[in-house]
Amino acid sequence: MKNLMIHTPEGFRDLYSTAEKEKRALMEKLHTVFETYGYEDIETPAVEYFDVFGSDIGTTPSSELYKFFDRDGNTLVLRPDFTPSVGRAAAMHFTAEGMPLRFSYQGNTYVNSQEYQLHLKEQTQMGVELIGDGSAEADAEILSLTVDLLKSAGLTEFQVSIGDNNYFKSLALDSGLDDETIEEVRVLISNKNFFGVSELLESMQIPERIRQAFVRMPQLFGGYEILDEAASYAANDGSKAAIARLREIGEALKTRGHDRYISYDFGLLSKFHYYTGMIFSAFTYGSGEPVAKGGRYDNLLSHFGMDAPAVGVGLYVDQLMNAISWQGRRHSL
Amino acid sequence: MRYLTIALTKGRLAQETLSLFEAAGITSAGADDTKTRKLIFTNEEMGIRFFLAKGPDVPTYVAYGAADIGIVGRDTILEEGRKIYEVLDLGYGACRMCICGPESAAAILKSGDQFRVATKYPNIAKDYFLNRRHQTVEIIKLSGSIELAPIVGLSEVICDIVETGSTLRENGLTVLEEVCPLSARVVVNQVSMKMENARITELITRLKEALDKKCS
Repeated sequence: MKNLMIHTPEGFRDLYSTAEKEKRALMEKLHTVFETYGYEDIETPAVEYFDVFGSDIGTTPSSELYKFFDRDGNTLVLRPDFTPSVGRAAAMHFTAEGMPLRFSYQGNTYVNSQEYQLHLKEQTQMGVELIGDGSAEADAEILSLTVDLLKSAGLTEFQVSIGDNNYFKSLALDSGLDDETIEEVRVLISNKNFFGVSELLESMQIPERIRQAFVRMPQLFGGYEILDEAASYAANDGSKAAIARLREIGEALKTRGHDRYISYDFGLLSKFHYYTGMIFSAFTYGSGEPVAKGGRYDNLLSHFGMDAPAVGVGLYVDQLMNAISWQGRRHSL
Repeated sequence: MRYLTIALTKGRLAQETLSLFEAAGITSAGADDTKTRKLIFTNEEMGIRFFLAKGPDVPTYVAYGAADIGIVGRDTILEEGRKIYEVLDLGYGACRMCICGPESAAAILKSGDQFRVATKYPNIAKDYFLNRRHQTVEIIKLSGSIELAPIVGLSEVICDIVETGSTLRENGLTVLEEVCPLSARVVVNQVSMKMENARITELITRLKEALDKKCS
């Protein structure tokens, strides 16, 4: 018993001295960026009803949620991420009149992930949600904000990679392939397995342009010019619309002078139905995983009785800290 | 230039992989010397370094970004379940993950009663029985000589890798069901794939070319 008194549970930690100071300082810098973009802080409870993160909404599998019961027998969870919480709060306390709404949040999230995986089970997240604006300009604002956040954190070498779920979804719909094969293709593409896709589709009956698109998608990755190539495979309205949207976002980012940190990646496919359009991840050296993720989720709020488009980004502060200290060490070598 | 770090699975897989790399024009002086105690080998001119690791550790090195690229069996990738890109099937090291047991166990598999499965791969076995066969089973984790389990009565069946099937036959066991085919794969860290895309894509393409040449 003595040991259990002084140790923290697996996946949790104490933070003190320099590390704590550095984390505070970093979070203050990030918060200043939220303020300059006109975002207002919102605080939501760490505990929510299970349904807020239920399977038709959440990005976290039920088995990885910390669950417990209240006195009435309702299932409660510790929040695994902020977006559904902020959406719920917005639907509860705000109306369409005040839109667009700009919320920023910071706090800890809890995911009961498998032992010895990468993550701490308690992680600090900071982020924003922009609710009630479905325009490409709103997407660009969130992406610009992400770039400014990473710059203010002191990073110089990083990439924000943008994709659009609808490009793949609409091509898949027109491909004539059955759901199982589509899922196989999706996994191969998101695994960047370019040879795998072509081998799988070799023997399949599928429109030639869509085949070419699927085979190329794992490598459809690069600067603004990659949109031209992606457009040449866009065989239907859905995929054309996705390209047009990305172009619009790209133009807006150019005007903001942020395009040099942006790349486009058509192999970025989320398996979650949560995201309805543009999705992105931010990468840098020293963190094996993205340091920020985000995207557009136009249907999420309707679960809470508010019909409004929304887009947001979440930053993994602990991952960012790791990346910064790793890059610092490299420079001093 | 930043080093591209490649984690290889120790043993036979490493030998095949190094010869494939050599065929692709990527040499690593010293790495194929089985007697050496050195852990890391560098190709200065290409900015590549190799190290050897235990199979199950390769996906871990890659997921954390300690290695950019890894060469590892698909069994290990499935068992470890890390978030990494699986970019290329190297084809060698081919074998199958199977459910095996004595002939008499075939009836138990179909019966729907709960039975015991001994395996080195609890995650793969669990996923197969729970999600694909919708059967509740008791999984027993062992570290080696899995074939022993049904013989001495520890379990009814086993979930293990089958290459030629000779070990099974010698012990009176047979393949009852196939879970999935396996072979060596190239895995890549998510961040490395973005930040070093050009170099990694070139490397993979060269490996694929060398592979095709070898096959033809």
